[in-house]
Amino acid sequence: MATIDGSAIKKLIVACDAGMGSSVMLAATLKKQLAKSGVTVEHSPVAHIPADADVVVTQASLAERARGVVPDVPVVPFQLFLGDPSVTKVVKAIQNGETVEV
Amino acid sequence: MSAYTPAPTGTGARAQVQRAGAFLAGMVMPNLGAFIAFGLITALFIPTGWINTFAGTVKSPLLITTQIGTMVGPLIVILIPILIAFTGGKNVYGHRGGVVGTVAFIGAMVSPLALQLKGLSLNGEPPIAPKSLGDLGPNILAAFILGPLGALLIKLWDGVIEGKVRGGFEMLVDNFSAGIIGGGLGVFGLYVIGPVTFWIAQGLGSLVNSLVNLNILPLVSIIVEPAKVLFLNNALNHGVFTPLGAEQVAGGAGKSILFMIETNPGPGLGILTAMLLFGPRAIRPTVPAAMVVHFLGGIHEIYFPYVLMKPILVIAAIVGGASGVLWESIFGLGLVGPASPGSIIAWALVSPPDNIVLNLLGIFIAAGVTFVIGMLLLGFGRKETATDAALDLEAAQEKSKQNKAKSKNQPAPSV
Repeated sequence: MATIDGSAIKKLIVACDAGMGSSVMLAATLKKQLAKSGVTVEHSPVAHIPADADVVVTQASLAERARGVVPDVPVVPFQLFLGDPSVTKVVKAIQNGETVEV
Repeated sequence: MSAYTPAPTGTGARAQVQRAGAFLAGMVMPNLGAFIAFGLITALFIPTGWINTFAGTVKSPLLITTQIGTMVGPLIVILIPILIAFTGGKNVYGHRGGVVGTVAFIGAMVSPLALQLKGLSLNGEPPIAPKSLGDLGPNILAAFILGPLGALLIKLWDGVIEGKVRGGFEMLVDNFSAGIIGGGLGVFGLYVIGPVTFWIAQGLGSLVNSLVNLNILPLVSIIVEPAKVLFLNNALNHGVFTPLGAEQVAGGAGKSILFMIETNPGPGLGILTAMLLFGPRAIRPTVPAAMVVHFLGGIHEIYFPYVLMKPILVIAAIVGGASGVLWESIFGLGLVGPASPGSIIAWALVSPPDNIVLNLLGIFIAAGVTFVIGMLLLGFGRKETATDAALDLEAAQEKSKQNKAKSKNQPAPSV
């Protein structure tokens, strides 16, 4: 459990195993949703998450590895690649500058 | 955290296997473009390829196809292993690591030629030692080892001499240390790693051959399908099947069934169809977009969560996957290059002309079997358990939120 402050997020990383397939797809979706907020949305392999990320979004099965790579960055695990409530929550938090538990 | 998202349980072993697999897949996946180029050129221009098939010139191939076909061997035997060795080295120690790792690999690459190694006889033909570079097979296993190893050695060396080189001599020391370590490891590769990996690859190749001949290759689905949904799909496919398949293709078979085992989009389609019709009601609306992304876009990850949600469905995936592999091994089917991503479109593009219909049928057989078993396991949607009810309740509570989320979150099904 971690708390993230939507207004403080400048860089959101979507991570998947290879950083080539599912993360690219979700990153493209989030980029569109967050276009107005000025947040940088990038995708990366879970083993190479950049250290300057403010929040990491990844599938629950990969969350443990993500936490190992960037222990100080909040990792938001999700289940479904399309329409997962956890991801929606992060997007909302960023759009409205809210603080949420993830 | 939502009901969809349970806290990740302590499966340290899984994360470790994922990491080890990702290390191998990380050497292959950045180079998939080269594999695809190899696959397309092979499918189009070899004597039994699309162009000669359409022109009716399989027996006496058109001149232009034999000319362009000259690229096939070097692409798979030279370029792809070198790219893998370079990427392996680069992942460990940047460009400098890549250079040393690649030099180290060349020794192992030419080892069968230099040492006149004869392979195992597969189908009764006496094995012959290679006479030129063109007769070599791709030694991807050696690239996996020597790329990172060369990089690791130069990294250690650089660490040892850091700050000890006299001013003005840095470039001299840097260049010659890289050259000496790379070259030395290349010689070691030629005499040791090359022969060892050659025999391992020969052994694995003949093992796969026997599994196919005995029609027991479908048993690998028992491992492959559960491993996939644990996100070990890339590790397994690009760490194991892609390299072995490439060796089979170059070894004279011209195609390989190994490219089909993990990449068949059939089982995933079957799972998603079963979920769409008989899954927990709350998640049914998310399925259609997932089907498009999975089946046409080839991003299999998208169906894994549905299996993790209803783990019993893995049985459907195993039986469906095995049915596909059985079909493929009965008819001796194969793909000429890796289908990556595992989309039906990619399958069609790397299918040899005489296999394409049966190949695509293999996808639908796997999908059909998976769907039927998945439907039975889901009790035709009538077995709404307590968890499903909870899911539905949660969904109801978050209804307005979800509705908005859905309209925003679903990407256009363009892939």
